Amino acid sequence: MARDLDHALKHVPLRAPAPLYERPQPPKGVFSSQRGFMRALGLVAVLLVAVLPFMDASRYTMSIATSALIYVMLCMGLNVVVGYAGLLDLGYIAFFAVGAYISGIFTTVLGWPMWAALIATIVACITAGIIIGAPTLRLRSDYLAIVTLGFGEIIRITANNLKITGGPSGIHGIPTWSFGPWGFDDGFNLFGIDFPERVVFYYFVAAVVIVVGVIGAGRLAKGRLGRAWKAVRDDEDAAEAMGINTYIAKISAYIIGAVWAGMAGQLMATHLSAISPNSFQFLYSALILMAVVLGGMGSTPGVIIGALFVSLAPELLRDFAEWRYLIFGVLLVVVMLFRPSGLWPATAVLPWLRRTRPTPPAFTEATAVPASVMESVDGTPTTEAHEGDRA
Amino acid sequence: MSALLEVRDLRLQFGGVTAVDGLSFEVREGEILAVIGPNGAGKTSAFNCISGFYLPTAGSVVFDGKAIVRAVPAIWRRLGLVNLLQSFGFYRVLPSRVTKWGMARTFQNLRLFRELSVLENVTTAMHANLREGFWSTLLHTPGYRRAEAACVREARGWLDFVGFEDDEQLYVTQLPYGEQRRVEIARALATSPKLLLLDEPAAGLNFNEKQTLMRLIRKIRGLGVAVVLIEHDMGLVMELAERIVVLNYGKEIADGAPEDVKRNPAVIEAYLGVYESEDAS
Repeated sequence: MARDLDHALKHVPLRAPAPLYERPQPPKGVFSSQRGFMRALGLVAVLLVAVLPFMDASRYTMSIATSALIYVMLCMGLNVVVGYAGLLDLGYIAFFAVGAYISGIFTTVLGWPMWAALIATIVACITAGIIIGAPTLRLRSDYLAIVTLGFGEIIRITANNLKITGGPSGIHGIPTWSFGPWGFDDGFNLFGIDFPERVVFYYFVAAVVIVVGVIGAGRLAKGRLGRAWKAVRDDEDAAEAMGINTYIAKISAYIIGAVWAGMAGQLMATHLSAISPNSFQFLYSALILMAVVLGGMGSTPGVIIGALFVSLAPELLRDFAEWRYLIFGVLLVVVMLFRPSGLWPATAVLPWLRRTRPTPPAFTEATAVPASVMESVDGTPTTEAHEGDRA
Repeated sequence: MSALLEVRDLRLQFGGVTAVDGLSFEVREGEILAVIGPNGAGKTSAFNCISGFYLPTAGSVVFDGKAIVRAVPAIWRRLGLVNLLQSFGFYRVLPSRVTKWGMARTFQNLRLFRELSVLENVTTAMHANLREGFWSTLLHTPGYRRAEAACVREARGWLDFVGFEDDEQLYVTQLPYGEQRRVEIARALATSPKLLLLDEPAAGLNFNEKQTLMRLIRKIRGLGVAVVLIEHDMGLVMELAERIVVLNYGKEIADGAPEDVKRNPAVIEAYLGVYESEDAS
């Protein structure tokens, strides 16, 4: 163990004395530990996502499900920035736009294959994260929100006016994935089951990316970097005093948020095969932020629920025609009234695992320490002092 | 013994107010030093300068042979860009760097991470000493798992060291005040310091808790860590400190062993006032 410690921790002048006693191993069962339950829940969710096309593979369902998954990816990215690092970002859609436009331009104008455009997207998003993040992260809360709002609009208006981005009409005919001679457009026949639509294939690509994105963001949040983000969110000065360079912690959150959004943007561009500046309005920044806050900031299951709610509710409310956004709004107000910290808050503990502290017994004459005992403890009579306090 | 921390002519001005006015003292390795003074004497401001949070107007602070206050070339001063540059981390030493060099601190009003558990609060402080990279965290490599296990073990060691006996999975806001104080000290120790700055560690503690705190501070010194504490509880200071620095209006008015400081007329005047001077005015 000692050698392991030496390897895992950098050489430091002071090491903690060994713990006085070995802690019992935490329980591992599905219902006896939070972690086990969350894993089981995650597995069920992945299975549901994988099974959905076999239940209903209509073009409409697949299209809605794909955009819901893309929303989940976007919200997980914003959750890193807002939920973990506590940086209010009102222009998050800018990174989504960067991802969508970079992949659109590289595949249509430059004719790159999709995998190469993916790498270009990631590089572009890291760069965008640094360019937007570096000058603004010295600002705190409200000011940061305003500046990010500005940056979000700058990206949209730039896309609206540049020639290479197609101006207001955007980019059309973005190709889907293809591997040599075969592409998603060709369809596929496996064991007598026909996969005719590129939409269905694309759903699986999105599903894989999103599962990796959700697990990745969750893992980052639990490690050294994630603890630094949460420390910065809770108390920036204390975090700095604990040896965390808060600037690096914040900019890394920003970059990771940007990469997640860029991947979502790439998925969106390929899914819809057309993008235009109208898809990147401030409204969408607000919607994603709302999904994160609604679900519960910093909570993976909460954010997924929030993202699904925000993306699916307008579809499910389609029967109400023009009333649907009104109903949507009322629903949101009701949720925030009854669950102010989100549908599934980050600090939530499963009800049957909740740790209870024994409440201290109420102070009565019977439980009061007799004055004689107090005298023997600190050597001074205490009764007079107490009476003096009361007077 | 060589000096671990050397403060020379430290001066800090906020506009027209001089919070610290030419403070000089030194801390030797492994000693307990108390900094006392009436409210508003500039004790916490001095702490903030030493730990890198405030940028002093003048003076030097050298910790373990490294300068914490850096000189800014005159050209930037003339261009008026000093604040901008320093806000981006140029010509200054960030508090995080100071902590990495081995100086840890606690805060006057508890500043624990409220949405983290007790254990996470302590493991967070091991940030700089942990070998965990981006990819190893993402892929949960064996190296990552080892580092996490080591980190948790170390944190539990510190929690046991400070005498924390409650449930380590609780959120810190669920703890009573005294326990929160302990967690804050455990968190500061987890950065593996050579020097620990405690800002009013006994504030709000009852008699028994103060006794335990004194034992704890002696135990910390026993590890070879120098302790500097700001404290108003004179009983505790006189019993614990090997040397006392007294501040008043940002100036150092006494420096010496507890017995000498107790008899120092300037100290008595600062704390109790002098009758004659009141008559004269």
